[in-house]
Amino acid sequence: MRILVVEDDAGIAEGLAANLRQRGYAVDLCESVEGGWSALCRERFDALILDLGLVDGDGAQLLQRLRALPLSQGSAKAPLPDSALPVLIITARDEVEQRIAGLDTGADDYLVKPFDFNELDARLRALLRRSAGRAQPMVRHGDIVLDPAARTVCRADRLVDISPREFAILLVLLEARGRVLSRAQLEERLYSWNAAVESNAIEVHIHHLRRKLGATLIQTMRGVGYFIPKDEAR
Amino acid sequence: MSRPTWSDPSLMRQLLLWSLGALVLVWACFVFLAYRTGVEEADELTDGHLASVAVLLLGVHGLPALGQRVEPLRLRQEGLKNHDYQQSLSVLVWDAQGGLRWRSGNAPTLAFDATEGYATVLAGEVPLAWRSFSQWNREHTQKVAVMLHLDERDALANDIAGQMIEPGLWLLPVVSLALGLAISRGLRPLMELSSAVAALDVQNADSLVARHALREFDSVVESINTLLVRQQQALARERRLASEIAHELRTPLTSIVLQTQALEAALDAKTQRAALAHIRADTLRAGHVLDQLLALARSSRGGAKSGWEQVDLARLARAVAADYAQAAWERSDVIEVEAEASLAMNGQPVLLEIALRNLVENALRHTPFGTRIVIQCGRKQEADARALWVQVCDDGKREGVSAGRPVADGLHLGHEIVARVAAEHKAQFHRASCAPPFTTCYRIDFAQSPENPAG
Repeated sequence: MRILVVEDDAGIAEGLAANLRQRGYAVDLCESVEGGWSALCRERFDALILDLGLVDGDGAQLLQRLRALPLSQGSAKAPLPDSALPVLIITARDEVEQRIAGLDTGADDYLVKPFDFNELDARLRALLRRSAGRAQPMVRHGDIVLDPAARTVCRADRLVDISPREFAILLVLLEARGRVLSRAQLEERLYSWNAAVESNAIEVHIHHLRRKLGATLIQTMRGVGYFIPKDEAR
Repeated sequence: MSRPTWSDPSLMRQLLLWSLGALVLVWACFVFLAYRTGVEEADELTDGHLASVAVLLLGVHGLPALGQRVEPLRLRQEGLKNHDYQQSLSVLVWDAQGGLRWRSGNAPTLAFDATEGYATVLAGEVPLAWRSFSQWNREHTQKVAVMLHLDERDALANDIAGQMIEPGLWLLPVVSLALGLAISRGLRPLMELSSAVAALDVQNADSLVARHALREFDSVVESINTLLVRQQQALARERRLASEIAHELRTPLTSIVLQTQALEAALDAKTQRAALAHIRADTLRAGHVLDQLLALARSSRGGAKSGWEQVDLARLARAVAADYAQAAWERSDVIEVEAEASLAMNGQPVLLEIALRNLVENALRHTPFGTRIVIQCGRKQEADARALWVQVCDDGKREGVSAGRPVADGLHLGHEIVARVAAEHKAQFHRASCAPPFTTCYRIDFAQSPENPAG
């Protein structure tokens, strides 16, 4: 899962990034409205964490611009930026009117500083879950159960040892069940701009996942990419 | 607001009481004058009546002839009363020698030698007051005296006075009621204005609108609205300040929380060092915000009555610039002071130093490296040459600050503090226009030698 953090305070931005990366998210940082907008126009993100008081204006301006775009169909090839992108506002403005204004502008959630990172993570997971159209916190596929909160994967009720990156790939593929994701798309969802990505990194992670969860779970479409078929298609 | 009780002072009640009091006073005067007039008129009428009867009798031929002494005739008058105002007159007729020739009525005999004309006399075995009129005929052969009991005359007077007073008696309650209604109706615009004032909500940027545009209310409505605007501005300013403080304080705290949470996980040594550096910097930053808050509290503390003394503004500017030399050098910035050798003014040195420090810090914090920062101070060239000014200018580009943006409008806590210090010195803090190469100037214009509020 790839998260864009738009925050002008270096301490908060880097603290958020470090914590998010520890939880397996790919994180990109911007410190201004314009920087955030150009990032959204260039790359695909799964969620946006947005501060309101930015160096060149109010984060709400960025949110308004985003929400003013026509709604994309949610396909991988939808135009950028995605106007339905889940947005979590983090701000020091704690008055009820300000929260209401923030939510009315189009934010999906609103978190007042200072906050515990675990709470932010839980809210982010809820946003991502809603964005993926899931009501349940667990992702189930056959005998595989993936818990985004605990970042664990069970197969036939047995815990499977899985690395954060493998977990992220599995989650992305499960969220996009039935759709083929190219290697580039997977890299885009899993790595931030400045992350060093080995050319065969995705293949290696897929290979490990197949070994741990069964060779038939992840299908390869030669020359296109990878996908997990929907349950009912089996 | 507590509900008004009957014992609370009421304008309506006061007006009603005063009006009724005035009305009763006027009415009492009217009653008194009416009574006086009634009595006087009754006296006049009675006297006129006595004289008329006397003249009438002197012209009657049926009276006993002169020199003919007869037993005086006494007419009986009982049962002959036909009108409320019919008076029981008594008549005495004498001949020239004083012999009572004729009499009528129940008045006692009057002395013959009584003075001619009107008189009030006491007569009878039990002395009673009588009003009498005596007159000789033209030949001076007969003398007539007509008498009326004074009680009868007074009864007439009271009756006339009563007739005059009576309409007032039933008019008084009617007038009182009408007066009450008129006052109530007349005060209605005031009551509505009072309700409108009570219903005002300062928080909601309301303004007072009088439903009745009476010119007497113009100044009141204008004054209330002026106060309201000031109150709303003060509230908005407090809200902005609270928001600014929240932002300034919560940001480093959030950073500290996130960095410590990141440290809980296994970070590489480089990331750990960076996290610890952030924690240290953010802790200092939070401490700095607390210092600012303390300064703010100090500048707001009861007008800071103490601490007024002669301050050399130029010297203060040089001292502040010297303190930030190291910080500026680390950023490759340049700090300079442009001022006369000495610029004395009356002020609070501690607060002025806080204000100057904030301006310099803002210039250091919100501009790119390599910025030139100048503290300038001097005297105004206009009429009031004694008034001083100080400004901090820089040539650094400040992101997110438009030229027209008002000072202390949620920009920085530091500016809020400067604005308060300026207000304490009856000075104006504003963003000033600046000549190239400077891009930003924040200036304090002092009034002519601000007075020490402590006296």
